[in-house]
Amino acid sequence: MSDWSMETLQEWDDKICVLGEKLGLDWYPIQYEMCDYKEMIGHMAYSGLPTHYRHWSYGKIFDRTQTEYNLGMSGLPYEMIINTNPSIAYLMTENPMPTHLLTMAHCVGHSDFFKNNRMFAETGASTALDRFKSAAKRIRKYMEDPRIGIDRVERILDACHSIRYQTPRTPGIKRRDPKKLKEYYRSLILADETGKWKDFDLEKIPLEPDSNILKFIAEHGRGLEAWERDVISIVERESGYFVPQAFTKIMNEGWAVLIHEKIVKSLDLPDDYFLSFIKLHNQVIRPHLGRVNPYHLGYKIFKNIEETHGFEECLEARKLHSDESFIKRYLTEELCRELNLFSFSYHKKENYNKITDVSSTDGWRRVRDDLIKNIGLNSVPVIYVKELLDDGTLVLEHDYDGRDLDLAAANKVFDRINELWVDTVRFTTVIEDELWEF
Amino acid sequence: MSTFREHKTIADRASSDRSRHRKKIEDAIKDSIKGVVAEESIIGQDGNKKIRIPVRGIREPRFVFGDNQENKKVGSAPGKDLSKGQRIGHRRKEEREAQGNKPGDKPGEEMYEIEMSLTELAEYLFSDLNLPELERKKFRFITEEKMRIKGKRTYGIRPRLSKKETVKQKIKRKKAAIKAGSFTDEEGERFPFHEQDLRYKHLTPVDKENTTAVVFFVMDVSGSMSTSRKFLARSFFFLLYQFLNHRYSEIDVVFVSHTAEAHEVSEEQFFTQLPNGGTLVSTALEKVSEIIEKRYHPSSWNIYTFYCGDGDNWGIDNEKAVECFEKLKEINQMMCYTEIGDVDGEGNRNKYNLFANGGKSLWAHLTRLEGPTLKRVGLSCHDDIWPAFKKLFGGR
Repeated sequence: MSDWSMETLQEWDDKICVLGEKLGLDWYPIQYEMCDYKEMIGHMAYSGLPTHYRHWSYGKIFDRTQTEYNLGMSGLPYEMIINTNPSIAYLMTENPMPTHLLTMAHCVGHSDFFKNNRMFAETGASTALDRFKSAAKRIRKYMEDPRIGIDRVERILDACHSIRYQTPRTPGIKRRDPKKLKEYYRSLILADETGKWKDFDLEKIPLEPDSNILKFIAEHGRGLEAWERDVISIVERESGYFVPQAFTKIMNEGWAVLIHEKIVKSLDLPDDYFLSFIKLHNQVIRPHLGRVNPYHLGYKIFKNIEETHGFEECLEARKLHSDESFIKRYLTEELCRELNLFSFSYHKKENYNKITDVSSTDGWRRVRDDLIKNIGLNSVPVIYVKELLDDGTLVLEHDYDGRDLDLAAANKVFDRINELWVDTVRFTTVIEDELWEF
Repeated sequence: MSTFREHKTIADRASSDRSRHRKKIEDAIKDSIKGVVAEESIIGQDGNKKIRIPVRGIREPRFVFGDNQENKKVGSAPGKDLSKGQRIGHRRKEEREAQGNKPGDKPGEEMYEIEMSLTELAEYLFSDLNLPELERKKFRFITEEKMRIKGKRTYGIRPRLSKKETVKQKIKRKKAAIKAGSFTDEEGERFPFHEQDLRYKHLTPVDKENTTAVVFFVMDVSGSMSTSRKFLARSFFFLLYQFLNHRYSEIDVVFVSHTAEAHEVSEEQFFTQLPNGGTLVSTALEKVSEIIEKRYHPSSWNIYTFYCGDGDNWGIDNEKAVECFEKLKEINQMMCYTEIGDVDGEGNRNKYNLFANGGKSLWAHLTRLEGPTLKRVGLSCHDDIWPAFKKLFGGR
């Protein structure tokens, strides 16, 4: 028997909202969907989106989540909220009231973050649901079209998914229209007095290295049918929608934890509720041995900002930063020490993982920089379109930063890019200090 | 203020994507099976024997950084004493590259291991081939003429007299006589049989399908048959065996290996025998004839003979071999001459030269004989097995 009803949820929510406003938060209205665990697993498989196009990979996630859950290997997230206006959040009916309280307060934090953080400026929260719905519908239409069929659509989707994280690293900034870009370079050349721009080829495609490979293929690929271009664009736009979340995982979670802690602590909960809450809260922010728990790290940094600079600065930080700048600016030596952060890597000769740096006086900065290299899309290699040659050859290049690619995986991705691009594809990277061409 | 609502249940929204994923896994299983078939000793085994099959997981590839010294990760370990250069975690297993069809244990390779019985395995294999059709049209059983009782007649020979039916006729007649008043059923009065009462069983010949079969696997084990060629032969033989085993209630398998002379051998010997000597195909076929004569009479056994070699017969023997093929063809449900070419891993069909020796090869000699009961197939790599199989049982 559950210890809550829709009415009690609504009552508590009123109190939570009042407290949220008092903190100076500004969030989208939240729409809570009450669902059972099976539905929850279903929504998790599709990143919480109520409608999404079909693809076998989501079926795989579903099966795996369900198996792990049934075997007791993992619990289900107590919170899931998506960046839409209104924000849709899911509450699992199996959960008790204290869990719901924490979840609801937590969701206020996320929704506020979505609405205010500048990375999300171009995600179109108000129209997102309709866009996903329309995309799902179109893809279904292609799959059902006897001239196309599920196998061909799937092949394009498979190929797109393999490079969907090869996206621009500048969320919040609109992609520059090629025409405007050309104008820009033309003006540079005209105003040029140094001779630096003398040899610049205005006809070159792309004018600047283009890290949005999917979009580039959709725009320039030869022999693509209209539906294929559409499928590619659908995947590309979805990436654009999710990239800001990858850029702010630590901040977003840390912020939501900070907010739920503040709100719930001011709720005057009955003792037994409060105890359950604290237990869950501590579980959420417990450090993970050997890994970094984003909830923990983000929360600790925000907490530290609040203690040293005040809550106003927290509000400001949640608006302006991405994880990268946030960590650069606010992760201090003391925090590194407290969390006992360390860097490690695999040493092939010894066949062991070895610690390369610890948070000592001279080492903590390197640890911090290594951490930055691993957050969000920084853990994804940067590959960009360098040039489109006259004979249709697509020249891709890996922006090598000292970290070698996993060759086996890269080979498979290369094959899939070839599914999208009918002409020759050239791709270069560096493996063990030598130039490597696929 | 937020809103709350009961979720509109979308009945299991992921179901179609899940079935799609499972289909992919099934396909992966089928792929793996082909590898397993080549390696395990599975012909003639009990159908319940369990086999473990490694299956590559279905994952979406993407660009990732490899495991190298420059790819540093960060972890936290509050309260632990750490120092630079300290080893953490466990020693990794030695990285092994994938060998043959065995999966490597390189990180990132997602592997399932599936256990299935031979019967299940065969079902997987044949589900690929649209066999139902084939079963109806292409499958043949030898027929035996048997006599069956078919009704009763008023004439016939004494031994086929049906006593029961005759007595019935007598009783009928008796009842009719009582009704007509010509006979009163009183104590002691006899009512004798009459010529008209006699009924004889009538026999007619019917064709009956015989569902026992014997399969001869004949292979050239001379020096030119390398291990990889033998593996290919084994895969093919396994398929054939499983297929026939599916159709017949009882099946015998005979392995005959030959060089310049032929021997009946066990399965293990068949595939592992060290190659040596020259090649006389006819000896093997004569051996088959001999065994058929002794143990498998064509009127009660469905006979299949599958020959596998590399086409390197000694020239002087070709004519004799063709004769043997022709003779065996008459009593076989199906014969197959399989020629294995260069297994170069590229599957390049031109690489195996079926028409070598200026058209004098066994392959060429057999052109004349090819027909519904004798077929020739060429194998150069694993990918050829399915088409070859289809040619045998599904082709025209």
